[in-house]
Amino acid sequence: MIPCKPIGQRLTTLFLSVFVFSFINIVSAQDGKTIFNNKCASCHTMGKDAIGPNLQGVVSRWESMDMLRMWIKDFNKAIAAGSPRAKEVVTFSPTSMQMFDGNITEDELTAVIDYADKWQPPVVQTPNGEPQKGNDNAVIFGVISLVLAIIALILMQVNSNLKKLSDDAEGISRPDPVPFYKNKVYIAMIAILFFIVGGYYVTKGAIGLGRQKGYQPVQPIYYSHKVHAGINQINCLFCHGSAWESKTAGIPSVNVCMNCHKGINEYIKGPKLYTEDGEEVNGTAEIAKLYKAAGFDPKNPAAWDPSMAKPIEWIKIHNLPDHVYFNHSQHIKAGKVQCQTCHGEITEMDEVKQASELSMGWCVNCHRNTKVNFNYTDSTGNRFYSIYEKFHNDIKTGKMDSVTVKDIGGLECQKCHY
Amino acid sequence: MKKISLITICIATVAALVSCNKVRRSPGRAYMPDMTYSRAYETYASTEALQDQKVHYNAMPVTGTMAQGDMTWVYPYKNDSIGYIQSASVTNPLKADSIKIDMKEAERLYLIYCGICHGDKLDGNGPLWKDGNGPFPSKPKDFIGDDLMRKMPEGTMFHSVTYGKNNMGSYASQLSTVQRWMVIDYIKSKQGGVQAAKDTATTTVPKP
Repeated sequence: MIPCKPIGQRLTTLFLSVFVFSFINIVSAQDGKTIFNNKCASCHTMGKDAIGPNLQGVVSRWESMDMLRMWIKDFNKAIAAGSPRAKEVVTFSPTSMQMFDGNITEDELTAVIDYADKWQPPVVQTPNGEPQKGNDNAVIFGVISLVLAIIALILMQVNSNLKKLSDDAEGISRPDPVPFYKNKVYIAMIAILFFIVGGYYVTKGAIGLGRQKGYQPVQPIYYSHKVHAGINQINCLFCHGSAWESKTAGIPSVNVCMNCHKGINEYIKGPKLYTEDGEEVNGTAEIAKLYKAAGFDPKNPAAWDPSMAKPIEWIKIHNLPDHVYFNHSQHIKAGKVQCQTCHGEITEMDEVKQASELSMGWCVNCHRNTKVNFNYTDSTGNRFYSIYEKFHNDIKTGKMDSVTVKDIGGLECQKCHY
Repeated sequence: MKKISLITICIATVAALVSCNKVRRSPGRAYMPDMTYSRAYETYASTEALQDQKVHYNAMPVTGTMAQGDMTWVYPYKNDSIGYIQSASVTNPLKADSIKIDMKEAERLYLIYCGICHGDKLDGNGPLWKDGNGPFPSKPKDFIGDDLMRKMPEGTMFHSVTYGKNNMGSYASQLSTVQRWMVIDYIKSKQGGVQAAKDTATTTVPKP
């Protein structure tokens, strides 16, 4: 016997179930992305093949939804069931897929398949960043002073002409006026001015010989420190790790680049890039240059042989003369100096330029002013400083309030020249 | 007329001076080149000239030598699927030698080399992933929330850090053997001492 429900009760149940199901649908549509990011994104990337294949439109590639679900839960079962797609896709990568049986609910599975199947690439909106213009104030001031100088000259000429006219009208006869280029006062003034200005530039040029402040060479690959260290917050030591433990800061070898760029093969998410000369740079093409050096084919990552990589010949920017010794680890590990203290705001530089003078005066000034962390008794301090007994006593008795690099021999010639 | 031409020349000179490119592409000259440019081979200097003199230098460590401060312990397994399974049996040699691990240093190393992807909080959400908004195409493993990672034996972690796994590259060139073990110990301590189950390697079954 079939129990017969009143029609009103049936309708209510129907409405309720429709309501509940639609609600569940909304939830799962939203959750698809979260579930994908948590469970699948380690191997699958939407829009392109990664460790796992691209999942966009995945349902159409499988003969049945059941088989796809069976594959996700346990791919061995799907192969055993004789699915042709399973046999095909199992050869996609040397890494086999994780089995999600018991790790994912049926609803989550539906949601995540739905999300991946219907995924569409987002419309990329790159902000229109303009290349930064240099400071034009100097030009404006120069033009203004030039104009003023010309006006002054004209006024002086007008003045002497008027004087001559009034003298003629009053009948006073004076000797013929000396033209301004024969006037000794003018010549003397111009000579002194020339001597001062010329002397300034000659001295400046002579001091600048062998110094490279502002040096900004064109590197073999447009590598933006702003994108890597600034936007993506990669620690300086990730690539320049030997700065912590050796004299040289170290230029990363190709394998360090490839640690990330094996996966990151295009530049789409960051701001537009420009060279210092204002030309736009295609980031993806620059990554392709790295692949060329590494001998890496992004279409066939499994075939990559890292030992065949060729070094990229980056151009060294910060050069000290051979007669100066400089040690990075001494400064950043023992001295706890930030990289930016000497190298400037690297995180803002697309193309790196030398921010500091790197002259002896610049070194010595810093050694005079920088205080040493003398407090070796706590864990932050350097135990080496315990040998400076006199300074510790002086600090205790209040004779000194701090110790600078100069006090512990930072101005000795032999520290840097030997 | 003469004056006008003089003024024109002045303006032209100023215009020529200011229109010069400000970008400095050349390193400039030196006073005494023999004291500035090293005659000895500097770091990263090209060694091609040495080849002509029959000196074969390849920048690789001599076989049988070890880096200063590194350990004598050698990881025994190869970079293949068998080595990956075998790695589960490897335990931290620093603990076997009861060497005290400097956790502050381990944390520093983690934050520099691992945190960029796996996150400062070990939640797999570092600046390169940023909930899928970063540039990295695949989600880094979550050490805290992912049961698989909590149960992963430290030897398997060492295998992955040494040889790389999936989209992660090898960190053997950036972290020494000691440093790799320090970082793994840091991760394990942050995971709260979950005992490594020996059989967890079966969750990702390598293909036969």
